Amino acid sequence: MSGNISERLPQIDLDHSFDLEELLSGVDVDKLLRSLGVLTGLEFALLNEGDDLVAGKVLDGTDKGAPISVDLEPIGSICASTASAEINNAAAVLFMAILKCNYRYKIASEMHLRIVQADYDELQRRHDELKESERKYRELSDSLERRVAEQVDTIENAQRQLYQAEKMASVGQLASGVAHEINTPIGFIQSNMSTAQGYVEKLQNYAALLKSKATYEELSAEWSQQDMDYVVEDFALLVKESLDGSRRVAKIVGDLKGFSRADSIGKEYADLNEVLRKVCSVAKPKMGSGELKLKLQPVPSVLCDAGALGQVFLNLIINAAQAMDGIGCIDIASSSQNSELQVNIKDNGPGIPEDVLPRIFDPFFTTKDVGVGTGLGLTVCNDVVKSHGGKLLVDSVVGSGTTFTIVIPLIKAA
Amino acid sequence: MAELDEKKLKLTVKLVYYGPALSGKTTNLIRLHDVLSPELKGEMMTLETQNDRTLFFDLLPVGFRAPSGLLIKFKLYTVPGQVAHDSTRKAVLSRADGVVFVADSQSTQGVNNAESFNNLAENAQRVGLDFDRLPLVVQFNKRDMPNIVSEEEVEKRWSRTPWKVVYSSALSGMGVGETFNELLRIVYADLNDKYALLSDHGTNEALFLESVMGGLSE
Repeated sequence: MSGNISERLPQIDLDHSFDLEELLSGVDVDKLLRSLGVLTGLEFALLNEGDDLVAGKVLDGTDKGAPISVDLEPIGSICASTASAEINNAAAVLFMAILKCNYRYKIASEMHLRIVQADYDELQRRHDELKESERKYRELSDSLERRVAEQVDTIENAQRQLYQAEKMASVGQLASGVAHEINTPIGFIQSNMSTAQGYVEKLQNYAALLKSKATYEELSAEWSQQDMDYVVEDFALLVKESLDGSRRVAKIVGDLKGFSRADSIGKEYADLNEVLRKVCSVAKPKMGSGELKLKLQPVPSVLCDAGALGQVFLNLIINAAQAMDGIGCIDIASSSQNSELQVNIKDNGPGIPEDVLPRIFDPFFTTKDVGVGTGLGLTVCNDVVKSHGGKLLVDSVVGSGTTFTIVIPLIKAA
Repeated sequence: MAELDEKKLKLTVKLVYYGPALSGKTTNLIRLHDVLSPELKGEMMTLETQNDRTLFFDLLPVGFRAPSGLLIKFKLYTVPGQVAHDSTRKAVLSRADGVVFVADSQSTQGVNNAESFNNLAENAQRVGLDFDRLPLVVQFNKRDMPNIVSEEEVEKRWSRTPWKVVYSSALSGMGVGETFNELLRIVYADLNDKYALLSDHGTNEALFLESVMGGLSE
């Protein structure tokens, strides 16, 4: 439904001048003239403005009759069969009274029509406006959905990049710790070996003397002079020390290998106690004069991403160490009961202020200095634990310390 | 917009009494019907009233024949003042050649007067009338009432507007003729520009006023 109502309704100007025929519509003019005839015993002719017969009988006379005026203007005349100004006038008055009623009715209905039309047009206009605004809102909502999707994409990308950066940062921390750990044994192995090189030379020289068939006295004098007793004793010590050192390096590399599975996708059964031990040996150099205490109870193997959980443990331990500023003790405990496995990482640091506590898992929220923390560490931890169907809980008392509890459901092997 | 019907030698002029509810528009027309003695005067027609309040409009036709034979017919309308009948006001105002704004002088009616005047300006624009050029006379009615705004106050507010202010008491008839006379004067200037009343129809302002007002013209 559209279009202007004026296309469908007859439109008459409010100031329109009606002619006789128009004003007679709805009036049974023949009946009226017949009644007039009965009353007067005469016949009548009703003429319009152009003197054409509208009703009644054609009369011969030249009498023009009495004018009929409505709204100041003559619109016709009425004439009786017997010329009488008085009767003509009386008939005209009668007709004018009837026509005036009709005139009144017509302009009232015309006005009513106009008002209805104006109101309808107004409603139509508002309807069109509403339709237009509805269309705009629909468009807006469509584009909004698209834009939200785009924004979500952007945010997810940024989050992935930050997550990657966070990972790289912890890899960097790890690397510096590992370098330090390996450097010490490598250092003394190197020094041991260079000393051993000197001992080998001495032994070679002594061997040459032996082969030259020198006498026992000569050999004995040389043995004492070169202090060969000490050389042999110290050599054995050097080799033992170096072997210990290389074993230490091998152990670190082994831990690292287990830890580097952080990138491996997919879950397999792993002993979280083993993961905790490895993480602790990686974290130890970060502890300064702080202590790390492991209180591990035997726990069943659990289907998990051991690398990712290792990251979570490391992250929480490093956070705790940073909070304690290198002084204090971190207790790491594991336990299992019923269908759940729990790991508690408890520090006796300053605790987390109440106003900060509800926000610690929010992305990008950090209390660390700019450039130190990304504000994603705990967010990622939380995500990782959740991806195992578990919970990361925190309990903190300002002044006495913070405990993070990781709860992982045990899923029975099929 | 007055319309010249060349065939019937007729010029129809539409004049509208506008204003807030109960300011005395219908009373103005009733008085005019009583006091005007134009060549042609129709009966006053009242269309639909309810408790003496105009619902549609009142109509008073008057007219005269110019020396050229041109019938100059005036249709005087009132609009319903009540806020609800805005569509009716627009329909009546449409194609008007002149407007009398009937304000209520009582000091409590200031807001109603202002709202109605703004409504007049808005509706004029909506029905395609150039409000700045529309012949308009402002009538402050009910001067016989107690608690009315003083003439000084009215002057202060209206002296900077282009519109002539007339004081009246429609009930007694005071100022009613003067208001109409003022309107006719500016309407004449307008019509003369458009239809050459003086040169083509032998009608100057004095004759124009005399023919409509009868002995009342000033």
